Amino acid sequence: MTLLRLLVLLAVFAASPAVADRAALSAGLCAPSLGDQIAALGALAEAGATGGAEDARWAQAIVAAVEGRNLRCATDGVFIGEGEAALDAATLAPRPAPAKAAGPPVNNRLRAAAASAAAVLKLFTDFNPAVRAAAVGALERRREALNLTIVDAALANEPDAGVAAALEALRARLLLADAEPANRIAAIEAVAANATLRNRTLIAEALAGETDVAVQAAGAAALAQVDRSLALGRVLATLYSGLSYASVLLLAALGLAIIFGLMGVINLAQGEFIMIGAYAAWFVQNAIRTVAPGLLDWYLLAALPVSFLAAALVGLVMEALVLRRLYDRPLMTLLATWAVSLLLINLVRVTIGTQNLEFHQPFYVTGGVPILGDFIVTLNRLFAIVVAVAAFFGVVALLRFTTFGMNVRAVAQNRAMAGAAGIDARRTDRLAIALGSGLAGLAGVALAPLYNVNPNMGAGFIVDSFMVVVLGGVGSLAGAVVASFGIGQINVVMEPIYGAVAAKVVVLLLVIAFIQRRPEGLFAPKGRR
Amino acid sequence: MSLRISRRRLLRTAGATAIGAAAASFPVPGLIRSARAADAVKLGCLFSSSGAMANVEGRLTSVVRMAAEELNAAGGVLGRTVEVIGTDPASDWPLYAQLGRQLIQQDEVAALFGCWTSVSRKSVLPVVEQEDALLYYPLHFEGEENSQNVVYLNSPPSSSVLPAVEYLMGEEGGGATRFFMLGSDYVWPRTINQQLKGYWSKQGIEAEAWREEYVPVGHSNFQTLVNQIREFADQPGGQPVVILTVVGNSIPDFFREFANQGISALDVPVLGLDALEADFEGLDTAPLVGHLNCWAYLQTASGPRNEAFLAAWAKHVADTGAPYRGDVAIDPMVSVYDGVHLWALAAEKAGSFDVPEVRAASPEVSFACPSGYEIAMMPDSTYVKRGVYIGSLNETQGFDVLWQSDGTPDPVPFSPFMNS
Repeated sequence: MTLLRLLVLLAVFAASPAVADRAALSAGLCAPSLGDQIAALGALAEAGATGGAEDARWAQAIVAAVEGRNLRCATDGVFIGEGEAALDAATLAPRPAPAKAAGPPVNNRLRAAAASAAAVLKLFTDFNPAVRAAAVGALERRREALNLTIVDAALANEPDAGVAAALEALRARLLLADAEPANRIAAIEAVAANATLRNRTLIAEALAGETDVAVQAAGAAALAQVDRSLALGRVLATLYSGLSYASVLLLAALGLAIIFGLMGVINLAQGEFIMIGAYAAWFVQNAIRTVAPGLLDWYLLAALPVSFLAAALVGLVMEALVLRRLYDRPLMTLLATWAVSLLLINLVRVTIGTQNLEFHQPFYVTGGVPILGDFIVTLNRLFAIVVAVAAFFGVVALLRFTTFGMNVRAVAQNRAMAGAAGIDARRTDRLAIALGSGLAGLAGVALAPLYNVNPNMGAGFIVDSFMVVVLGGVGSLAGAVVASFGIGQINVVMEPIYGAVAAKVVVLLLVIAFIQRRPEGLFAPKGRR
Repeated sequence: MSLRISRRRLLRTAGATAIGAAAASFPVPGLIRSARAADAVKLGCLFSSSGAMANVEGRLTSVVRMAAEELNAAGGVLGRTVEVIGTDPASDWPLYAQLGRQLIQQDEVAALFGCWTSVSRKSVLPVVEQEDALLYYPLHFEGEENSQNVVYLNSPPSSSVLPAVEYLMGEEGGGATRFFMLGSDYVWPRTINQQLKGYWSKQGIEAEAWREEYVPVGHSNFQTLVNQIREFADQPGGQPVVILTVVGNSIPDFFREFANQGISALDVPVLGLDALEADFEGLDTAPLVGHLNCWAYLQTASGPRNEAFLAAWAKHVADTGAPYRGDVAIDPMVSVYDGVHLWALAAEKAGSFDVPEVRAASPEVSFACPSGYEIAMMPDSTYVKRGVYIGSLNETQGFDVLWQSDGTPDPVPFSPFMNS
C-alpha cells in the first residue's frame, strides 16, 4: 500500500518540471526572519494559484506542514516530519531527515499567514463548492497571503456561480487603495456590505487620506449605513445577552419555584440537583460514545430525559429519607437539605473527582451565527434558551391541565382541605418534589455547554435561584419568568457601564429595595397560605 | 408575636448554619492525622480540595505526597521519614490562616506548602511571621512582598509577565500596541495591571491604548465582556491583545465564550497569566489555538528531568487513585515539587529542621527542576530564580513552547513600575 502510494507520488513528481522552484519556495520558509517566512507563504500561495492543480496540491502539503508544526529545516534541504519517516519538502518523496532538525517557530503571525495561504489553496484544490465558499469567507478576514493575481486566477478557474460572485466581492474589497476612484467606491461599498466594526475601521482608515470628492461622499454614506447597523446590532446583542442570562436563571429557578414556592421546602440542594443532571448527561455521552459513536452528536437530546429522571430519583430519595418528616418545620428543611447538598458534592468528589468534566460539543452548541453588525447568536446559549422556554411551558401545562397539577395546586393552597377532598397529599408531595428535582436535572443538561461541570457547580446557582423565586413571588411561575428576565436584563445593561462587580451590587440592592416595598414579590399568589 | 418567634428561630438557625459551615470545612483530625512513628518529620499542606479553586489547587497536595515518597525512598531527610499532612481550606481565605496555625501549633510541621491565590497567601502571612514558620508558595504572583517566612518558589512579574508582554509587543508576537486587561477583582490582578500600566507609561504608550475591567471572583457569564473586547479590538490603532488575569473556573468560561463568538487568537491573542493546561481539560481547544500563557514550567519542556517527573506523576496517580489526570502536569505542581526538594536539601545542609537554620542554608542549595533549569534561592531575598517559558495553546489542550529564557533571570521583588 505504502509502496503503491510511493510509486504514484514518484510518477507525479518526477514528471514535474518545477522541482527546482519548489526547493527554492520551500527553502523560503526556513529564512531567518519572520517577515521573509511570511513572504514565502505568500509566494507559495501564488505559485499554487498560478501553477495549476499539481502545484496547488504540493503547496497545500507544505502549508499543512507549517500549520501542523511538521516542517523541519536542515542544511541540505527542507523536510516534512522527523527522522526516517520524513519527506523531502520539494519532492514529497521519502527522505530521512537529519536528527534534531528544527522548524520555523510557529507564532501567531506565521500561523495567520499559513491560514490565509491554506484558504487560497483550497480554492484551487477542493471539489466541493461549499468548502470553496467557506475559503472565500475566511480570506475576507485573513488576507496575509492574498493578492489580486491570486483572486483573478481563482475567478478564471471557478466553475460555481455562487463562489464566483463571492470572489468578485472579495476582489472589489481588495481595491480600497486602488488608483481608480470608481474602484475605490466599489471597494467601499463591498466592504460596507458586511457591517462590522472592523470593516467600519477599514473604511474609515481608507478615507483618512482620500481627496476625491465622489469617493468621500460614497464613504460617508457607507459609514452612516454601517453605523446604523452597528447600533441596532448592539441593542440586539444586549437583549440577547440579557435573554440568555435570564434563561440560565429561569432554568435554575424553575424547579425551586415548585419545591420552595408550592411545597414550602427550602431546598438548598437544588444546585446539586443541577450538578447531578449535568453528570448524568456526561454518563449518557460516554454510553453513546461506546455503544453508538455515530450518534454522539445527539447525546444532549438523549440526556434530557435521563437527567430529568436521575435528578428526580435523587429528589425522591431525599424526600423519603429527610423531607417527609419536616413538612411542618420549613426552617428545618434548610439545614437538612444543606446537609444533603454537602453529601452530594462530596460523594461526587470522592467517586469522580474535582476536575471539570470533558463534554463533546456537538455542532448545535458550538460557535455562533452572525446576524447583524457585530451581533452574534451563540448557539450554546440559544440551546439553553430553547430548553428554558420548553421547560417553562411544559411545567405550566402540567400544573394547569392535568389532575396531578390540580392536586399540587390544591395541596399547596390548603393541605388539610385537599386531604379532606380525597387527594393523597403524601403522594402529591412526592411527585411534586420529583418534578422540581427533575427540572433541575434538565437545567444541568442545558447548562453543560455553558458552564464548567464539576462537583461545586451547583453552589453558583443556588443564591440566584432563590433570588428569582422570592422576587417573582413565592409560588408564582409567571413571577419567576418576569424576575429572571428583569434581573438578567438589568445585569447586562449595568455591566458595561459600572463593571461586572458593581452590576452585581446594584442588582442586589434593587432586589432588596423591591422586597422591602413588596415582601410578597412581583406576583403574590391569591388565597390563604 | 408569632413573627418575632419565627424571626428568632431564623436567627438561631442561621447561627447553627454558620457553625455547621465552619465545622464541615474542617478536616476531621482523626481521619487525616495518622498516629505514625513519632520520629517522622511533618510537612503541612494548605491546598483546597473544595470550592472555587478545587479544580487546580487540589492536586498539589498529591504532588507534595509524591515528593515526600521520593525523599523517603532515598532514606528520608536527616534519617527521618517525611510525613505529609493534608488539609482542605475550602477556597475560604481566612480558613487558610486558621488551618495554617493549627498545622504549626498542633502538628508541629517543619514547613508549610500552600496557597494559590495571593489573597490566601496574604491571609497566612501574619501566621507564619508570628510563629516564625516557613511557607513554600508555588504560584507566580504580583511580587511587592518579601517576607523571610515565605519561600517564593515562582516568579514575580519582572520574570514572568513582563517578558511575555515584551514578546507580544515585539515583531514575533505581532507588535501589540493596545491592551485589554481583564481580571478577577482581587489583589493579584489589580497589582499586575498597575505594574503593566506603569511599564507602558515608561514605554511612552498613551493611556487611551489600554482598558481595564474586573469581574467578581467566580464570574462565569462573559458575554458582555467578550462583546466589549471585540469592540475594543476592532477600533483603529493597531494590534490589540487581552491580558487575562481572571482565575479559577472563570478561565474556561471566558475562553468558551471567546471561541463561540468567533474571535480567533490570530486576530486578538489572549495572554492568560493564570491559564494552565488543567483549565482547558473540559474544552475543545481547536478554535483557541494560539492563545498564550507564561510560566516557569510547561509540560512540553524538553529534557530527561521533565520525562522523569511526568512518569513519576503518572505512576503516583495510578498507584494512589488520586482523582486527577496523570497525563497533565502544570507549573504549580512542579514548583511545589521543587519546593519539597529544596526544603529537604536545605535541611540536610543545615543538619536541622529548625526554621532559622533551614532558611540560612537555603541559598546554598540548588535543585535540577523538571523545567530544565537549575534553580536556587536568591542570596538576598527568599525568591527562587526560575526560567521563563511562553506557551502557545495547541489543539490537544496543551501549551507548546513558543519562547524560553536563556537562563534564570534574577527576580525583582519590588517592581519599579508600581507607582509610576
